Amino acid sequence: MRSFLFRALTLVAVTALPAFASEAEAPKGGLLSPAGGLMFWTLVVFAVLFFVLSKFAFKPILAAVEEREQSLRDAMEQAKADRELAATLLAEQKAALEAARNDAQKIIVDGRATAEKMRADLLEHTRVQQADMLERAKRDIEAEKHNAIAELRREAVDLAIAGAGKVIEKNLDDASNRALVDKYLSAIGTK
Amino acid sequence: MKSGFFRFAIAALVLAAPLAAQEHTPTAPAAQVQGAEKTEGAASAEPTDIITPHITDGKHLELPSLNPSHGFAKEVTLPSGWPSFDIPLPIIGPFHVDTSPTKLIVMLWVVAALLVVVLVSAARAHTQRAAQGLPPKGLAGAIEAMVLYIRNEVILPNVGHHGEAFVPYLLTIFFFILTANLLGLIPYMATATGNIAVTGMLAIMTFVVIEVAGMRALGKGYINTIIFWPHDMPLAMRLPMSLIMSPVEIISKFTKPFALAIRLFANMTAGHIVVLAMVGLIFTFQSYVAAPAPVAMAVAIMLLELLVAFVQAFIFTLLSSVFIGLVRESHH
Repeated sequence: MRSFLFRALTLVAVTALPAFASEAEAPKGGLLSPAGGLMFWTLVVFAVLFFVLSKFAFKPILAAVEEREQSLRDAMEQAKADRELAATLLAEQKAALEAARNDAQKIIVDGRATAEKMRADLLEHTRVQQADMLERAKRDIEAEKHNAIAELRREAVDLAIAGAGKVIEKNLDDASNRALVDKYLSAIGTK
Repeated sequence: MKSGFFRFAIAALVLAAPLAAQEHTPTAPAAQVQGAEKTEGAASAEPTDIITPHITDGKHLELPSLNPSHGFAKEVTLPSGWPSFDIPLPIIGPFHVDTSPTKLIVMLWVVAALLVVVLVSAARAHTQRAAQGLPPKGLAGAIEAMVLYIRNEVILPNVGHHGEAFVPYLLTIFFFILTANLLGLIPYMATATGNIAVTGMLAIMTFVVIEVAGMRALGKGYINTIIFWPHDMPLAMRLPMSLIMSPVEIISKFTKPFALAIRLFANMTAGHIVVLAMVGLIFTFQSYVAAPAPVAMAVAIMLLELLVAFVQAFIFTLLSSVFIGLVRESHH
Protein backbone atom coordinates (compact mmCIF):
# COMPACT_ATOMS: atom_id res chain seq x y z
CA MET A 1 0.00 0.00 0.00
CA ARG A 2 2.66 2.41 1.07
CA SER A 3 5.04 1.48 -1.68
CA PHE A 4 2.19 1.88 -4.14
CA LEU A 5 1.54 5.36 -2.81
CA PHE A 6 5.22 6.20 -3.07
CA ARG A 7 5.37 4.92 -6.61
CA ALA A 8 2.37 6.98 -7.56
CA LEU A 9 3.82 10.09 -5.97
CA THR A 10 7.16 9.38 -7.57
CA LEU A 11 5.53 9.07 -10.94
CA VAL A 12 3.90 12.44 -10.53
CA ALA A 13 7.11 13.97 -9.25
CA VAL A 14 9.24 12.47 -11.98
CA THR A 15 6.91 13.49 -14.73
CA ALA A 16 7.02 16.97 -13.30
CA LEU A 17 10.77 17.25 -13.61
CA PRO A 18 11.10 17.53 -17.41
CA ALA A 19 8.42 20.18 -17.45
CA PHE A 20 10.36 22.22 -14.94
CA ALA A 21 13.60 21.64 -16.74
CA SER A 22 12.17 23.24 -19.85
CA GLU A 23 11.05 26.27 -17.88
CA ALA A 24 14.07 28.11 -16.61
CA GLU A 25 12.34 30.29 -14.02
CA ALA A 26 10.08 27.57 -12.64
CA PRO A 27 10.67 26.64 -9.01
CA LYS A 28 12.59 23.43 -8.55
CA GLY A 29 11.31 20.37 -6.77
CA GLY A 30 8.38 18.03 -6.91
CA LEU A 31 4.87 18.19 -5.60
CA LEU A 32 5.91 17.57 -2.03
CA SER A 33 8.63 20.19 -1.71
CA PRO A 34 7.18 23.41 -0.37
CA ALA A 35 8.23 26.63 -2.09
CA GLY A 36 9.45 29.24 0.36
CA GLY A 37 7.87 32.15 -1.46
CA LEU A 38 4.47 30.49 -1.48
CA MET A 39 4.73 29.72 2.24
CA PHE A 40 5.76 33.29 2.93
CA TRP A 41 2.88 34.70 0.94
CA THR A 42 0.41 32.26 2.47
CA LEU A 43 1.43 33.51 5.90
CA VAL A 44 1.23 37.17 4.88
CA VAL A 45 -2.03 36.87 2.97
CA PHE A 46 -3.62 34.80 5.69
CA ALA A 47 -2.49 37.15 8.45
CA VAL A 48 -3.88 40.17 6.59
CA LEU A 49 -7.06 38.29 5.78
CA PHE A 50 -7.42 37.20 9.40
CA PHE A 51 -7.16 40.74 10.73
CA VAL A 52 -9.36 42.32 8.06
CA LEU A 53 -12.04 39.64 8.21
CA SER A 54 -12.20 39.35 11.96
CA LYS A 55 -12.43 43.12 12.32
CA PHE A 56 -14.66 44.06 9.40
CA ALA A 57 -16.60 40.90 8.61
CA PHE A 58 -17.01 38.38 11.40
CA LYS A 59 -17.24 40.88 14.23
CA PRO A 60 -20.11 42.91 12.72
CA ILE A 61 -21.91 39.77 11.52
CA LEU A 62 -21.66 38.04 14.88
CA ALA A 63 -22.52 41.27 16.68
CA ALA A 64 -25.63 41.71 14.55
CA VAL A 65 -26.58 38.08 15.11
CA GLU A 66 -25.97 38.48 18.82
CA GLU A 67 -28.10 41.60 18.84
CA ARG A 68 -30.88 39.86 16.98
CA GLU A 69 -30.70 36.85 19.27
CA GLN A 70 -30.78 39.22 22.24
CA SER A 71 -33.81 41.03 20.90
CA LEU A 72 -35.50 37.70 20.25
CA ARG A 73 -34.67 36.59 23.78
CA ASP A 74 -36.00 39.90 25.11
CA ALA A 75 -39.19 39.52 23.10
CA MET A 76 -39.64 36.02 24.43
CA GLU A 77 -39.01 37.16 28.00
CA GLN A 78 -41.47 39.99 27.46
CA ALA A 79 -44.03 37.62 26.03
CA LYS A 80 -43.60 35.31 28.98
CA ALA A 81 -43.97 38.19 31.42
CA ASP A 82 -47.03 39.40 29.51
CA ARG A 83 -48.53 35.96 29.62
CA GLU A 84 -47.93 35.70 33.34
CA LEU A 85 -49.44 39.14 33.84
CA ALA A 86 -52.43 38.15 31.73
CA ALA A 87 -52.85 34.98 33.75
CA THR A 88 -52.71 36.98 36.97
CA LEU A 89 -55.23 39.48 35.63
CA LEU A 90 -57.48 36.69 34.47
CA ALA A 91 -57.32 35.09 37.89
CA GLU A 92 -58.13 38.43 39.49
CA GLN A 93 -61.02 38.95 37.11
CA LYS A 94 -62.30 35.49 37.85
CA ALA A 95 -62.05 36.11 41.58
CA ALA A 96 -63.83 39.45 41.21
CA LEU A 97 -66.54 37.84 39.12
CA GLU A 98 -66.94 35.09 41.69
CA ALA A 99 -67.15 37.66 44.48
CA ALA A 100 -69.73 39.63 42.53
CA ARG A 101 -71.75 36.51 41.92
CA ASN A 102 -71.59 35.65 45.61
CA ASP A 103 -72.67 39.17 46.50
CA ALA A 104 -75.59 38.99 44.12
CA GLN A 105 -76.56 35.63 45.53
CA LYS A 106 -76.39 37.02 49.01
CA ILE A 107 -78.42 40.03 48.08
CA ILE A 108 -81.07 37.85 46.50
CA VAL A 109 -81.15 35.59 49.55
CA ASP A 110 -81.30 38.59 51.85
CA GLY A 111 -84.07 40.15 49.82
CA ARG A 112 -86.00 36.96 49.85
CA ALA A 113 -85.57 36.69 53.62
CA THR A 114 -86.57 40.30 54.10
CA ALA A 115 -89.66 39.85 51.96
CA GLU A 116 -90.54 36.71 53.86
CA LYS A 117 -90.13 38.51 57.12
CA MET A 118 -92.15 41.46 55.94
CA ARG A 119 -94.93 39.17 54.76
CA ALA A 120 -94.91 37.36 58.07
CA ASP A 121 -94.93 40.65 59.93
CA LEU A 122 -97.77 41.94 57.84
CA LEU A 123 -99.70 38.76 58.35
CA GLU A 124 -99.14 38.89 62.07
CA HIS A 125 -100.12 42.49 62.18
CA THR A 126 -103.27 41.78 60.27
CA ARG A 127 -104.10 38.91 62.54
CA VAL A 128 -103.56 41.03 65.60
CA GLN A 129 -105.72 43.77 64.16
CA GLN A 130 -108.38 41.28 63.24
CA ALA A 131 -108.32 39.80 66.70
CA ASP A 132 -108.51 43.27 68.10
CA MET A 133 -111.50 44.13 65.99
CA LEU A 134 -113.12 40.85 66.87
CA GLU A 135 -112.53 41.57 70.53
CA ARG A 136 -113.98 45.01 70.24
CA ALA A 137 -116.99 43.69 68.37
CA LYS A 138 -117.47 41.09 71.07
CA ARG A 139 -117.28 43.75 73.71
CA ASP A 140 -119.74 45.91 71.83
CA ILE A 141 -122.07 43.00 71.44
CA GLU A 142 -121.76 42.27 75.17
CA ALA A 143 -122.45 45.87 76.02
CA GLU A 144 -125.40 45.95 73.66
CA LYS A 145 -126.62 42.73 75.20
CA HIS A 146 -126.44 44.26 78.67
CA ASN A 147 -128.25 47.32 77.45
CA ALA A 148 -130.83 45.19 75.78
CA ILE A 149 -131.30 43.10 78.91
CA ALA A 150 -131.63 46.26 81.02
CA GLU A 151 -134.04 47.66 78.48
CA LEU A 152 -135.92 44.41 78.41
CA ARG A 153 -136.04 44.36 82.18
CA ARG A 154 -137.36 47.89 82.32
CA GLU A 155 -139.83 47.01 79.62
CA ALA A 156 -140.74 43.85 81.57
CA VAL A 157 -141.17 45.93 84.70
CA ASP A 158 -143.32 48.35 82.78
CA LEU A 159 -145.33 45.51 81.28
CA ALA A 160 -145.52 43.85 84.60
CA ILE A 161 -146.62 47.13 86.14
CA ALA A 162 -149.10 47.61 83.34
CA GLY A 163 -150.22 44.03 83.78
CA ALA A 164 -150.28 44.49 87.48
CA GLY A 165 -152.20 47.75 87.00
CA LYS A 166 -154.84 45.81 85.06
CA VAL A 167 -154.84 43.18 87.80
CA ILE A 168 -154.95 45.88 90.44
CA GLU A 169 -157.79 47.56 88.67
CA LYS A 170 -159.74 44.39 89.05
CA ASN A 171 -158.60 43.35 92.55
CA LEU A 172 -157.39 46.53 94.02
CA ASP A 173 -158.12 45.57 97.43
CA ASP A 174 -156.76 42.23 97.24
CA ALA A 175 -153.77 42.84 99.43
CA SER A 176 -152.61 39.34 99.32
CA ASN A 177 -152.32 39.54 95.48
CA ARG A 178 -150.26 42.63 95.73
CA ALA A 179 -147.93 40.93 98.15
CA LEU A 180 -147.68 38.00 95.81
CA VAL A 181 -146.71 40.28 92.80
CA ASP A 182 -144.17 42.17 94.76
CA LYS A 183 -142.69 38.95 96.01
CA TYR A 184 -142.46 37.74 92.46
CA LEU A 185 -140.99 40.95 91.12
CA SER A 186 -138.35 41.06 93.79
CA ALA A 187 -137.54 37.48 92.94
CA ILE A 188 -136.91 38.61 89.31
CA GLY A 189 -134.93 41.64 90.42
CA THR A 190 -132.47 39.60 92.34
CA LYS A 191 -131.95 37.27 89.50
CA MET B 1 9.39 27.90 22.52
CA LYS B 2 7.11 28.95 19.74
CA SER B 3 9.84 29.41 17.15
CA GLY B 4 11.20 26.01 18.15
CA PHE B 5 7.95 24.37 17.19
CA PHE B 6 7.81 26.48 14.09
CA ARG B 7 11.24 25.32 12.94
CA PHE B 8 10.47 21.73 13.79
CA ALA B 9 7.26 21.81 11.80
CA ILE B 10 8.95 23.37 8.79
CA ALA B 11 11.70 20.80 9.06
CA ALA B 12 9.14 17.99 9.18
CA LEU B 13 7.37 19.28 6.12
CA VAL B 14 10.51 20.05 4.20
CA LEU B 15 12.13 16.74 5.03
CA ALA B 16 9.32 14.95 3.32
CA ALA B 17 9.95 16.74 0.06
CA PRO B 18 13.24 15.22 -1.11
CA LEU B 19 11.89 11.73 -0.46
CA ALA B 20 9.69 11.99 -3.47
CA ALA B 21 12.29 13.71 -5.59
CA GLN B 22 15.25 11.50 -4.72
CA GLU B 23 13.70 8.29 -5.97
CA HIS B 24 14.63 9.25 -9.44
CA THR B 25 14.12 5.89 -11.06
CA PRO B 26 13.13 6.42 -14.65
CA THR B 27 9.69 4.89 -14.81
CA ALA B 28 7.24 5.17 -17.60
CA PRO B 29 5.73 8.64 -17.79
CA ALA B 30 2.21 7.64 -16.83
CA ALA B 31 0.58 10.98 -16.40
CA GLN B 32 1.72 12.23 -19.76
CA VAL B 33 -0.87 12.91 -22.35
CA GLN B 34 -0.69 14.75 -25.56
CA GLY B 35 -0.80 18.49 -25.25
CA ALA B 36 -4.19 19.90 -25.93
CA GLU B 37 -3.05 22.77 -28.07
CA LYS B 38 -0.55 20.78 -30.11
CA THR B 39 -2.94 18.08 -31.33
CA GLU B 40 -5.01 20.65 -33.13
CA GLY B 41 -3.43 20.03 -36.49
CA ALA B 42 -0.71 17.42 -36.68
CA ALA B 43 -0.65 14.08 -34.93
CA SER B 44 3.13 14.15 -35.04
CA ALA B 45 3.36 16.30 -31.92
CA GLU B 46 5.34 14.97 -28.98
CA PRO B 47 3.24 13.92 -26.00
CA THR B 48 3.29 16.88 -23.65
CA ASP B 49 2.50 16.85 -19.97
CA ILE B 50 -0.42 19.18 -19.40
CA ILE B 51 -1.29 17.91 -15.94
CA THR B 52 1.82 18.74 -13.97
CA PRO B 53 2.05 22.40 -15.03
CA HIS B 54 -1.59 22.76 -14.14
CA ILE B 55 -1.35 21.37 -10.64
CA THR B 56 2.03 22.84 -9.76
CA ASP B 57 3.12 26.40 -9.30
CA GLY B 58 4.62 28.38 -12.16
CA LYS B 59 5.76 31.79 -13.30
CA HIS B 60 3.01 32.16 -15.90
CA LEU B 61 -0.56 33.29 -15.63
CA GLU B 62 -3.04 32.00 -18.18
CA LEU B 63 -5.55 34.68 -19.04
CA PRO B 64 -8.64 34.12 -21.17
CA SER B 65 -8.02 34.80 -24.86
CA LEU B 66 -9.97 34.40 -28.08
CA ASN B 67 -6.90 33.25 -29.98
CA PRO B 68 -7.24 29.47 -30.55
CA SER B 69 -3.60 29.00 -31.52
CA HIS B 70 -2.53 29.05 -27.89
CA GLY B 71 -5.45 27.07 -26.52
CA PHE B 72 -7.58 30.17 -25.99
CA ALA B 73 -5.12 31.35 -23.38
CA LYS B 74 -2.75 34.24 -23.21
CA GLU B 75 0.32 33.59 -21.15
CA VAL B 76 1.59 36.37 -18.92
CA THR B 77 4.97 35.99 -17.33
CA LEU B 78 5.08 37.18 -13.77
CA PRO B 79 7.88 39.46 -12.59
CA SER B 80 10.94 38.05 -10.89
CA GLY B 81 13.61 39.57 -8.75
CA TRP B 82 11.54 40.57 -5.78
CA PRO B 83 13.39 40.43 -2.46
CA SER B 84 14.51 36.97 -1.43
CA PHE B 85 16.16 35.74 1.73
CA ASP B 86 17.29 32.55 3.38
CA ILE B 87 15.92 31.25 6.67
CA PRO B 88 18.66 29.23 8.39
CA LEU B 89 17.10 25.99 9.49
CA PRO B 90 18.84 23.39 11.62
CA ILE B 91 19.63 19.97 10.09
CA ILE B 92 18.31 20.74 6.61
CA GLY B 93 20.20 23.96 6.07
CA PRO B 94 19.00 27.29 4.71
CA PHE B 95 15.42 27.55 3.47
CA HIS B 96 15.20 29.84 0.47
CA VAL B 97 12.30 32.30 0.34
CA ASP B 98 11.71 34.20 -2.90
CA THR B 99 8.89 36.72 -2.55
CA SER B 100 8.44 37.31 -6.28
CA PRO B 101 4.94 36.35 -7.42
CA THR B 102 4.05 33.01 -8.95
CA LYS B 103 0.76 31.70 -10.30
CA LEU B 104 -0.40 30.45 -6.90
CA ILE B 105 0.75 33.59 -5.09
CA VAL B 106 -1.44 35.59 -7.45
CA MET B 107 -4.25 33.13 -6.69
CA LEU B 108 -3.74 33.77 -2.98
CA TRP B 109 -4.15 37.49 -3.59
CA VAL B 110 -7.28 36.87 -5.66
CA VAL B 111 -8.71 34.66 -2.93
CA ALA B 112 -7.98 37.25 -0.27
CA ALA B 113 -9.38 40.13 -2.35
CA LEU B 114 -12.53 38.21 -3.20
CA LEU B 115 -13.05 37.19 0.40
CA VAL B 116 -12.57 40.71 1.69
CA VAL B 117 -14.97 42.16 -0.88
CA VAL B 118 -17.67 39.53 -0.38
CA LEU B 119 -17.50 39.15 3.37
CA VAL B 120 -17.05 42.81 4.24
CA SER B 121 -19.91 43.86 1.95
CA ALA B 122 -22.03 41.07 3.41
CA ALA B 123 -21.18 42.31 6.89
CA ARG B 124 -22.11 45.86 5.88
CA ALA B 125 -25.46 44.75 4.46
CA HIS B 126 -25.90 42.73 7.60
CA THR B 127 -25.31 45.71 9.88
CA GLN B 128 -27.72 47.84 7.86
CA ARG B 129 -30.47 45.24 8.00
CA ALA B 130 -29.80 44.63 11.68
CA ALA B 131 -30.21 48.36 12.37
CA GLN B 132 -33.77 48.02 11.05
CA GLY B 133 -34.28 44.96 13.22
CA LEU B 134 -34.48 42.64 10.22
CA PRO B 135 -32.62 39.45 9.41
CA PRO B 136 -30.26 39.62 6.43
CA LYS B 137 -31.31 38.49 2.98
CA GLY B 138 -29.61 37.25 -0.15
CA LEU B 139 -25.87 36.67 -0.06
CA ALA B 140 -25.50 38.18 3.40
CA GLY B 141 -28.04 35.66 4.66
CA ALA B 142 -26.12 32.80 3.08
CA ILE B 143 -22.87 34.06 4.57
CA GLU B 144 -24.53 34.38 7.94
CA ALA B 145 -25.90 30.85 7.71
CA MET B 146 -22.40 29.52 6.99
CA VAL B 147 -20.75 31.62 9.68
CA LEU B 148 -23.33 30.59 12.25
CA TYR B 149 -23.22 26.93 11.28
CA ILE B 150 -19.43 26.80 11.51
CA ARG B 151 -19.47 28.73 14.76
CA ASN B 152 -22.32 26.97 16.55
CA GLU B 153 -22.05 23.44 15.22
CA VAL B 154 -18.33 23.04 14.54
CA ILE B 155 -16.19 25.44 16.54
CA LEU B 156 -17.95 26.03 19.84
CA PRO B 157 -18.90 22.40 20.67
CA ASN B 158 -15.43 21.11 19.84
CA VAL B 159 -13.20 23.84 21.23
CA GLY B 160 -15.03 23.76 24.55
CA HIS B 161 -15.44 26.46 27.16
CA HIS B 162 -14.53 30.02 26.13
CA GLY B 163 -14.25 28.91 22.53
CA GLU B 164 -15.28 32.38 21.29
CA ALA B 165 -11.64 33.47 21.06
CA PHE B 166 -10.92 30.89 18.36
CA VAL B 167 -13.95 31.69 16.21
CA PRO B 168 -12.35 34.39 14.00
CA TYR B 169 -9.25 32.31 13.25
CA LEU B 170 -11.16 29.15 12.42
CA LEU B 171 -13.75 31.04 10.37
CA THR B 172 -10.96 32.65 8.38
CA ILE B 173 -9.40 29.22 7.83
CA PHE B 174 -12.73 27.87 6.61
CA PHE B 175 -13.52 30.70 4.21
CA PHE B 176 -9.93 30.91 2.95
CA ILE B 177 -9.75 27.21 2.13
CA LEU B 178 -13.27 27.13 0.72
CA THR B 179 -12.64 30.09 -1.60
CA ALA B 180 -9.27 28.76 -2.73
CA ASN B 181 -10.84 25.34 -3.42
CA LEU B 182 -13.74 26.82 -5.37
CA LEU B 183 -11.62 29.26 -7.39
CA GLY B 184 -9.42 26.33 -8.38
CA LEU B 185 -12.40 24.80 -10.17
CA ILE B 186 -12.80 27.80 -12.46
CA PRO B 187 -10.97 27.55 -15.80
CA TYR B 188 -7.80 29.69 -16.16
CA MET B 189 -7.41 29.66 -12.39
CA ALA B 190 -5.30 27.46 -10.15
CA THR B 191 -5.90 25.75 -6.83
CA ALA B 192 -3.78 27.38 -4.17
CA THR B 193 -4.83 24.73 -1.64
CA GLY B 194 -3.55 22.06 -4.02
CA ASN B 195 0.00 22.98 -3.12
CA ILE B 196 1.88 21.59 -0.15
CA ALA B 197 3.44 24.98 0.65
CA VAL B 198 0.04 26.60 1.14
CA THR B 199 -1.53 23.74 3.07
CA GLY B 200 1.70 23.26 5.01
CA MET B 201 1.71 26.90 6.07
CA LEU B 202 -1.94 26.67 7.09
CA ALA B 203 -1.12 23.55 9.09
CA ILE B 204 1.84 25.28 10.75
CA MET B 205 -0.37 28.21 11.73
CA THR B 206 -2.97 25.82 13.11
CA PHE B 207 -0.20 23.97 14.94
CA VAL B 208 0.93 27.22 16.57
CA VAL B 209 -2.67 28.08 17.49
CA ILE B 210 -3.21 24.61 18.97
CA GLU B 211 -0.05 24.73 21.07
CA VAL B 212 -0.57 28.34 22.23
CA ALA B 213 -4.15 27.43 23.16
CA GLY B 214 -2.77 24.49 25.13
CA MET B 215 -0.22 26.67 26.92
CA ARG B 216 -2.83 29.26 27.82
CA ALA B 217 -5.42 26.75 28.95
CA LEU B 218 -3.13 24.44 30.92
CA GLY B 219 -0.41 26.81 32.13
CA LYS B 220 2.33 24.75 33.79
CA GLY B 221 0.34 21.61 33.07
CA TYR B 222 1.15 22.07 29.39
CA ILE B 223 4.46 20.29 29.97
CA ASN B 224 2.42 17.14 30.65
CA THR B 225 1.27 17.12 27.05
CA ILE B 226 4.94 16.79 26.00
CA ILE B 227 6.41 14.61 28.75
CA PHE B 228 4.30 11.67 29.78
CA TRP B 229 4.49 11.47 33.58
CA PRO B 230 1.64 9.43 35.13
CA HIS B 231 1.25 10.37 38.80
CA ASP B 232 -0.73 7.30 39.79
CA MET B 233 2.02 4.81 38.94
CA PRO B 234 4.99 3.67 41.03
CA LEU B 235 8.23 5.40 40.10
CA ALA B 236 9.76 2.21 38.74
CA MET B 237 6.96 2.06 36.20
CA ARG B 238 6.72 5.77 35.62
CA LEU B 239 10.26 6.17 34.30
CA PRO B 240 10.14 3.60 31.49
CA MET B 241 6.58 4.60 30.64
CA SER B 242 7.73 8.18 30.33
CA LEU B 243 10.66 7.20 28.13
CA ILE B 244 8.39 5.25 25.81
CA MET B 245 5.34 7.48 25.80
CA SER B 246 6.96 10.92 25.63
CA PRO B 247 8.18 10.48 22.03
CA VAL B 248 4.72 9.24 21.14
CA GLU B 249 3.20 12.38 22.67
CA ILE B 250 5.63 14.59 20.80
CA ILE B 251 5.13 12.82 17.49
CA SER B 252 1.35 12.97 17.90
CA LYS B 253 1.65 16.75 18.20
CA PHE B 254 3.22 16.91 14.74
CA THR B 255 1.20 14.22 13.01
CA LYS B 256 -2.04 16.15 13.53
CA PRO B 257 -1.12 19.26 11.52
CA PHE B 258 0.90 17.13 9.11
CA ALA B 259 -2.22 15.09 8.38
CA LEU B 260 -4.19 18.32 7.94
CA ALA B 261 -1.71 19.61 5.36
CA ILE B 262 -1.42 16.34 3.42
CA ARG B 263 -5.17 15.69 3.45
CA LEU B 264 -6.10 19.04 1.98
CA PHE B 265 -3.24 19.08 -0.53
CA ALA B 266 -3.85 15.52 -1.71
CA ASN B 267 -7.61 15.93 -2.02
CA MET B 268 -7.39 19.09 -4.06
CA THR B 269 -4.57 17.81 -6.26
CA ALA B 270 -6.14 14.40 -6.86
CA GLY B 271 -9.39 15.83 -8.14
CA HIS B 272 -7.64 18.03 -10.67
CA ILE B 273 -5.41 15.20 -11.83
CA VAL B 274 -8.45 12.98 -12.38
CA VAL B 275 -10.35 15.65 -14.31
CA LEU B 276 -7.35 16.42 -16.51
CA ALA B 277 -6.65 12.73 -17.05
CA MET B 278 -10.24 12.23 -18.18
CA VAL B 279 -9.90 15.07 -20.66
CA GLY B 280 -6.50 13.72 -21.68
CA LEU B 281 -8.12 10.41 -22.65
CA ILE B 282 -9.71 12.16 -25.61
CA PHE B 283 -6.30 13.16 -26.95
CA THR B 284 -4.79 9.80 -26.17
CA PHE B 285 -7.41 8.08 -28.27
CA GLN B 286 -7.20 10.89 -30.84
CA SER B 287 -10.85 10.44 -31.73
CA TYR B 288 -13.95 12.56 -31.41
CA VAL B 289 -15.96 9.37 -30.95
CA ALA B 290 -14.21 8.70 -27.67
CA ALA B 291 -15.00 12.18 -26.38
CA PRO B 292 -18.49 11.86 -24.78
CA ALA B 293 -17.60 9.25 -22.18
CA PRO B 294 -14.52 11.03 -20.75
CA VAL B 295 -16.34 14.37 -20.86
CA ALA B 296 -19.30 12.91 -18.96
CA MET B 297 -16.94 11.41 -16.40
CA ALA B 298 -14.98 14.67 -16.12
CA VAL B 299 -18.24 16.57 -15.50
CA ALA B 300 -19.19 14.05 -12.81
CA ILE B 301 -15.77 14.42 -11.20
CA MET B 302 -16.10 18.21 -11.35
CA LEU B 303 -19.43 17.98 -9.51
CA LEU B 304 -17.75 15.75 -6.98
CA GLU B 305 -14.95 18.32 -6.72
CA LEU B 306 -17.55 20.96 -5.89
CA LEU B 307 -18.61 18.82 -2.94
CA VAL B 308 -15.00 18.07 -2.02
CA ALA B 309 -14.20 21.80 -1.99
CA PHE B 310 -16.78 22.31 0.76
CA VAL B 311 -16.02 19.08 2.56
CA GLN B 312 -12.28 19.71 2.77
CA ALA B 313 -12.72 23.26 4.05
CA PHE B 314 -15.18 21.90 6.59
CA ILE B 315 -12.89 19.04 7.65
CA PHE B 316 -9.86 21.28 8.07
CA THR B 317 -11.92 23.60 10.30
CA LEU B 318 -13.55 20.74 12.19
CA LEU B 319 -10.28 18.93 12.88
CA SER B 320 -8.53 22.15 13.90
CA SER B 321 -11.36 22.77 16.38
CA VAL B 322 -11.13 19.21 17.65
CA PHE B 323 -7.34 19.45 18.10
CA ILE B 324 -7.63 22.77 19.93
CA GLY B 325 -10.34 21.26 22.12
CA LEU B 326 -8.22 18.16 22.77
CA VAL B 327 -5.15 20.01 23.94
CA ARG B 328 -7.21 22.34 26.13
CA GLU B 329 -9.07 19.46 27.76
CA SER B 330 -6.06 17.18 28.25
CA HIS B 331 -5.30 16.51 31.91
CA HIS B 332 -2.62 13.92 32.39
